[in-house]
Amino acid sequence: MHIVVLAKVVPDYEVPASDFELADSRAHKRYKRMMGLYDENAIESGVQLKEKYSSTLTIVSYGNKDDIPVLRKAVAMGCDKLLLVTGSSDDASVIAANLKMALDSLGDVDLVLAGQQSADMDRGLVHGMLAEKLGFVFIPQIAGIEYLDGQWKVTQNTETGIRELECREKAVLSITSVPENVPRIPAVRSIFAAKKKAVDILPAIEDKAMPVDEVSVEIPKMESVCEFLPAEDDIAETAKILLRRLREERYI
Amino acid sequence: MKTLIIEMIEPKRLGELVTVSREFCEKPDIVAVGSGQIPGSFAKAYQVEDTVASNLISDLASLILKEGYEIILLSASTLGSGIAAPLSIKLSAPVVSEVIGIKPELVVERPLYGGKAVATYKLKKMPAVLTIRRKYFEAADLQGFTESKLLGSDGKKVELITEREEKAEGIPLEDAEVIVSGGRGIGGAENFPILQTLADLFNGAVGASRGAVDEGWAKPTQQVGQTGKIVAPGVYFAVGISGASQHLAGIANAKCVVAINKDEEANIFKRARFGVVSDYKKIVPVLIETLKEEG
Repeated sequence: MHIVVLAKVVPDYEVPASDFELADSRAHKRYKRMMGLYDENAIESGVQLKEKYSSTLTIVSYGNKDDIPVLRKAVAMGCDKLLLVTGSSDDASVIAANLKMALDSLGDVDLVLAGQQSADMDRGLVHGMLAEKLGFVFIPQIAGIEYLDGQWKVTQNTETGIRELECREKAVLSITSVPENVPRIPAVRSIFAAKKKAVDILPAIEDKAMPVDEVSVEIPKMESVCEFLPAEDDIAETAKILLRRLREERYI
Repeated sequence: MKTLIIEMIEPKRLGELVTVSREFCEKPDIVAVGSGQIPGSFAKAYQVEDTVASNLISDLASLILKEGYEIILLSASTLGSGIAAPLSIKLSAPVVSEVIGIKPELVVERPLYGGKAVATYKLKKMPAVLTIRRKYFEAADLQGFTESKLLGSDGKKVELITEREEKAEGIPLEDAEVIVSGGRGIGGAENFPILQTLADLFNGAVGASRGAVDEGWAKPTQQVGQTGKIVAPGVYFAVGISGASQHLAGIANAKCVVAINKDEEANIFKRARFGVVSDYKKIVPVLIETLKEEG
């Protein structure tokens, strides 16, 4: 069994809004680069499947060579191989086409995992587009995966609860975060071993971008001015003031 | 413009999409997913009982091409995100997900960077597929019902084995006028009941941050944020929640945020209307007592 996990390196997603700035409509280059948060959940899910079914696990990414050191974290977590397509498009369809090319080059992929959405573009589109281009089934928001009797049995977290689904075909699954797939912290020895691992690099292919123009990107202002209630000595008084203020302004 | 809504039969979700559809046409058509009557008045209604997104894509694509729909509207939900991207490839259509604003001339807005930025796009070709983020548009009041035609579905790729609804105790999170949410600062699952007690006194509901859900202290269905539920209550108590932008993206339309946090530097205070810099274990029990005394 050959499992591929898609991973994307993004600017630090924990930078608070107050420190966030743009340059050329994208996050300023000064922020630290890191693996997307749901991508790490997907890697962890992939490593768990590898351990359970002795599968081969390949990380595939589309992006910049400078991000290879960040991608190596996936190897340290337990992935076998890294494959990077070098390119710089943000167009979901272009990224999906390049990932398809990379997967085609691997030849024998049975299952593709991806984070529910990237930690920079927030759109959750690339994996579904890739699935359609590959002719695979796409199932979003997956919290658990098993392989039984020749089919994938997956658990999907929906807005209202949990679904169990079965699928006999090759699939692209987007992974959501649950306590069971909180990413492991690799051992120091694995981190060093991962540094020596070879990375396969493919040049990007040309593909048509979606017929959508990005007109602008702006940082919205946070307009709220917080009224701090005194909370040092008399907490009972604080509670009363809070309730009174909420009523005065007709929130409750 | 010829507009098609694809959505589960759920009045609030349908109502929001009907509101959005008015930007494009007088009366949209609908593919209603699931069983039951279709609330509201649609020009033409189709119904499909299979609720698994991957089983619907081929038939939806055929219908859209045959009828010449120009705008396809879905919610940014499990169903919508399962359909939108594959459908866009099938139709060679542009797709914009998690739309939070619509302007004239096919200009749409959506958040980037966990809600820290907003991007504006112009659609240059139709059909175009849009998924709409919940709670950013008022739900239209749906009058009456529309008769539907059953839409065929050929061959199931994915089989739905079981479906379990996570029954919220009391009022559902999305409908609550008061939400009390806990984050990592709550410290453990055993501390969530006190938030429930406070929520109950307001006839409200308990939410959680992604951190608290990852710790296993709260259910995934309780998660509020960009990738959880989008809520718009009158009052949102953020208890032990630092206020990452991904969380704030879920409460952008909350009218009043009350932040209770030990750390006065916490980002949540920048979004809050009222702030209490305190250990929640001190103030929450007193709030409960005061509300009880008032009856």
